[in-house]
Amino acid sequence: MTHSALSRVRPARFSRGAGSIGRFLIALLRSPQSAAGTVIVLFFLALALFGAQIAPYSANDQSNPPRQPPTAAPLERLRRVWDDPGRLFEAETYRLGPYPFGTDTLGRDVFSRVILGTSSIFRVAGFGTLIAVVIGTFLGLFAGYQGGLIDEGITRVFDALLALPALLLALVILGIIRNIETEPGSFQAALADNAVLLVIALVYVPIVARVVRSSTLEVKTRAFVQAAQIRGESWGYILFREIFPSVIPALVVEASLRFSYAIFLVASLGFLGVAARPPSPDWGLMVNENRGGYYQLTPWALEYPAAAIALLVIGVNLMSDGIRRAVQKSE
Amino acid sequence: MLLSVKEILMTQAQKTRTDERRARLPRRSFLKLSAAGLAASVFGAAGFDLTPQQAAAVLARRQAGTLRVAWGGAPVALDPLNASADTEIAFLNAIYDYLLDTDARSELVPRLATAWEISDDGLTYTLTIADGVTFHDGSELTMDDIVWTFERLRSDGPTADLYADIERVEPGEGRTVVFTLSRPNPDFLYNLTDNHAVILKANAQNIGQEFNGTGPFKLQEYIPDRATLSANAEYFAGAPGVETLEFFYFDSVESAVNALRGGQVDVVLRMDNATFLALGGEGVFATQQATTSGHDLVRLRADREPGSDERVRQAFRLATDRQAIFDRLQFGFGAIGRDSPIGPFFARYYSEETPLPGPDPEAARRLLAEAGYPDGLEMTLYVPNLADRVALAQTLAAQWEAAGIRITIEPQEEAVYYADNGWLEVDLAITPWGHRPVAQQFLDLYLRSDAAWNESHFSDEEVDRLIEIAGTTLDEDERTQAYHEIQRILIERGPIIIPYFFAQFGVMGDYVSGVDVHPFAGRTRFHTATVS
Repeated sequence: MTHSALSRVRPARFSRGAGSIGRFLIALLRSPQSAAGTVIVLFFLALALFGAQIAPYSANDQSNPPRQPPTAAPLERLRRVWDDPGRLFEAETYRLGPYPFGTDTLGRDVFSRVILGTSSIFRVAGFGTLIAVVIGTFLGLFAGYQGGLIDEGITRVFDALLALPALLLALVILGIIRNIETEPGSFQAALADNAVLLVIALVYVPIVARVVRSSTLEVKTRAFVQAAQIRGESWGYILFREIFPSVIPALVVEASLRFSYAIFLVASLGFLGVAARPPSPDWGLMVNENRGGYYQLTPWALEYPAAAIALLVIGVNLMSDGIRRAVQKSE
Repeated sequence: MLLSVKEILMTQAQKTRTDERRARLPRRSFLKLSAAGLAASVFGAAGFDLTPQQAAAVLARRQAGTLRVAWGGAPVALDPLNASADTEIAFLNAIYDYLLDTDARSELVPRLATAWEISDDGLTYTLTIADGVTFHDGSELTMDDIVWTFERLRSDGPTADLYADIERVEPGEGRTVVFTLSRPNPDFLYNLTDNHAVILKANAQNIGQEFNGTGPFKLQEYIPDRATLSANAEYFAGAPGVETLEFFYFDSVESAVNALRGGQVDVVLRMDNATFLALGGEGVFATQQATTSGHDLVRLRADREPGSDERVRQAFRLATDRQAIFDRLQFGFGAIGRDSPIGPFFARYYSEETPLPGPDPEAARRLLAEAGYPDGLEMTLYVPNLADRVALAQTLAAQWEAAGIRITIEPQEEAVYYADNGWLEVDLAITPWGHRPVAQQFLDLYLRSDAAWNESHFSDEEVDRLIEIAGTTLDEDERTQAYHEIQRILIERGPIIIPYFFAQFGVMGDYVSGVDVHPFAGRTRFHTATVS
C-alpha cells in the first residue's frame, strides 16, 4: 500500500466542524424532555454565574425577620393579571416579594441562599467531573491501547475502587483529608479546601476510564488505527488524533451522566456535613440544618434547597439522556 | 442507591405505556388528592386541632391505667455507678429511691430521708429514714443498705470525687444514718441527691442486670426498645397513680414525637427548642417547660494570645448580642445568660448588679485595635456537630464579624470533639454543659484554676479564692456575696460567654396529670401521674 492510500482510511469522526455540532444541537433540542433538561441546566448555570448579582441578600445576612412565611404572592398576582390584563406588561407583576422563599430560623433569606448555593455546586461537581474526565480519558486510552500488563494493572486497581460505593469512598477520603493539619496558605491547605472537588474527581476517574478503555479496545483494531501504526505515527498521535475522536461520543454521554451523579454526591456529602462548612449556603447543608424540629417550624428552608437539588439532577439527567440520543443520531 | 439512566429509561418506557391507558381518570383523582394534601398542610401549619373523630381514635388507643413515656434514645449503662443519660436515670429513678430529691425549682425535698439535721460545725449530717420501706423482694430497708450503697459510691467510679469529703457513713440511733465530713460543705445535701446515689440493697449482686429497689415501680420486662414496669403497691409513699409505666426507647426525638402524635405514647420528655415550639403550636398537647442551669459555654483560652488580653475577651463580649441569640435560637425558652454559670435558676445567688456591656460592635473593634489587632481577628470556632450548637456558632460568627472577628466554623462529631481532650486545647469553642442542681459544681468543674475541665485555662486568684469561700462557708450571706463577686469578675474580665440557659421540655396528652417536668428530664417522677 502506498502512503496516500493509507491516509485515505479515515475514522468516522464525530462532531468535526460547525455542521455536525449544529446537527447535534438540533437533535438534542428536538425532543421536549431533553430540551427541558437543557433549559434547566442552562438556567442553573446562569444562576451560578450571575447569582451574586441576582440574590437580594448576602448568604449570611441574619438581619431579616425570622420565621417569615413565604409570600403566597404568585397566585395573587395571577389573579390580578386576570382581572386586569394590562398588568401583564407592568414590571411590578414580576417583582419577587421581599422573601419569596421565606427566611430560616436564623433570619437568613432562603431565596438568596439557594441562588448563592448554585455556584458552589457547579464549581465542585463541574470541575470535579472535568478532572475525572480528563484523567479518566487519558488512563482509559492508555490502558486500552497498550494492553498487556499495564492494562491489567490499571484495570484491577480501578475494579477495586469501583467495588466500594462512591459515597463511602468519598467519606473515607474526606475523613482522611480533613484530619491533616495544614498551614494556612500552603499547597496542602489549598488541597484541603478543595477536598470535595478532588474526591469527586477521584471517585469518578475509574468509571470514566473504564468506559473510555472499552471504546478504545474496540476502536484500536480498526483499519485506520492499524494504518497509522504502519505509517509509523507517534504513540501520542495515534492515541489522541486517531483513537480519541472515536471515543468522544461515549465520553460525552458518560461525562454528562457523571455530572448528574456528582451533583447528587456533593449534595449528599453536604447533607452529611462533610462537604461544606457552615455558614456556606450549600444545598445539602441547608437541608441538614433545617431537619427535625426546624422542619416543622420553617419547612420552606428545607424544601426549596431540596427542590433545587432535585430539579438540577433531573435537568442534568434529561439533558444527558438527550445527549446520548443526539450522539447516536449524529453517528 | 441511584438507578442508572438506562434502568430509569427502561422503567419509564414501561410506565408510559401503562399510563397512557389510564391517564384520564387518575388525573382528576390526582388533582383531588393534591388539593386535599394542600388543605391538610395549610390547616396543619395553622395549628388546627384534630377532628373529634381523630381525637376519639387517639383516646381509644390509650390503655387504661398505663402511662407510656417515650425517649429519643436507649439506656446503655444501668448500674447506678455508671448511669448518666436521662433514659438511664429515669429507669433507676422509677425502680429505686434517692435519700433526697430536688424539685423543679431545685429545692430539697424528702424522699427516703424524711428529715435531716446538721451539726453546728457543719461536719455531721444526721438523716432520719422513713418507716416501713421495703425492697421489691420483700425485705426491709435497713441502715446498713444505705451505708453499703454510699461506701460503694465513694470508693470507686465517677462519684468518688463528689463524695471525697465524706469521712465516714454509719448507722445512727434508731432509723438514722450519720454522715461525717472532713470539711464543711454547704452543698452536701444536694450531693446526696446526685443522679448516681440510688439506694441499693446491701451486697446486691448483678447490679445493672437485676433491679431490686425500694422505688414506686418494679421491673416487669425489659426488651431492647422498651421497659415495662408495674406499680409497687407497697410503696412507702403511697401506691403509684398508674398500674403500669412503660418507657419506649426510640432512635431519635423525631420518632418519639411522631409516636406521641400517633397516640402510641402519652409523654415525651427532652427535645430541642424547635420541636417543642412546633408541638406547642399544634394545640393538642399539654406542654411543660422548666428553666435549667444547663447552658452552652462559649469560651476563649485565657492563657495564650489572643485571649490572654482582657481587652480581647471584652471585645468578644461587646460583639455578642444575647437578646438576638435568645430570640432566634432559644425562641424565648429558658433564660438569657450573663456570662456566668450562676444563672437565674440559682435565684438566691443570681445577681444582675453588674451591667453587661454591649452589644456594641464598634466599641469591640476599637478594643481589638487597642489590644494590637487593628485588622481584627481570624479564628476557628470548634463546635460539636449538633444542630442547635452549629446554629449558635453561625449566629455568633455573623455578630462577631461586625466587630472584625472573622470566624471559620469547624463542626466536629461529638466523639471527635471530646477525643484526646481536643476540646480543652483549642482556642475558641462551644461546649454544652448539662443541668447541675448547684452552681458550685460548674465552678468546680470548669472555672477554678485546677478544675479538671478548665477549658478556658482561666486562672484568676481572686476567683479561685471566692470559689473556695463559696464552697466551704456555712454563712449563707457570705456565700451569696462570694457568688455575686464571681459574677461581677466574670463580666469584667472572664474568658467565657454564656448566652443562654436551656429549658427542659415535656409534652404530653392533656389526659395526663401529675407529671412535673424536672430540669434534668430523667429525674421527672411518674408515681404521682394519673391518666384520665
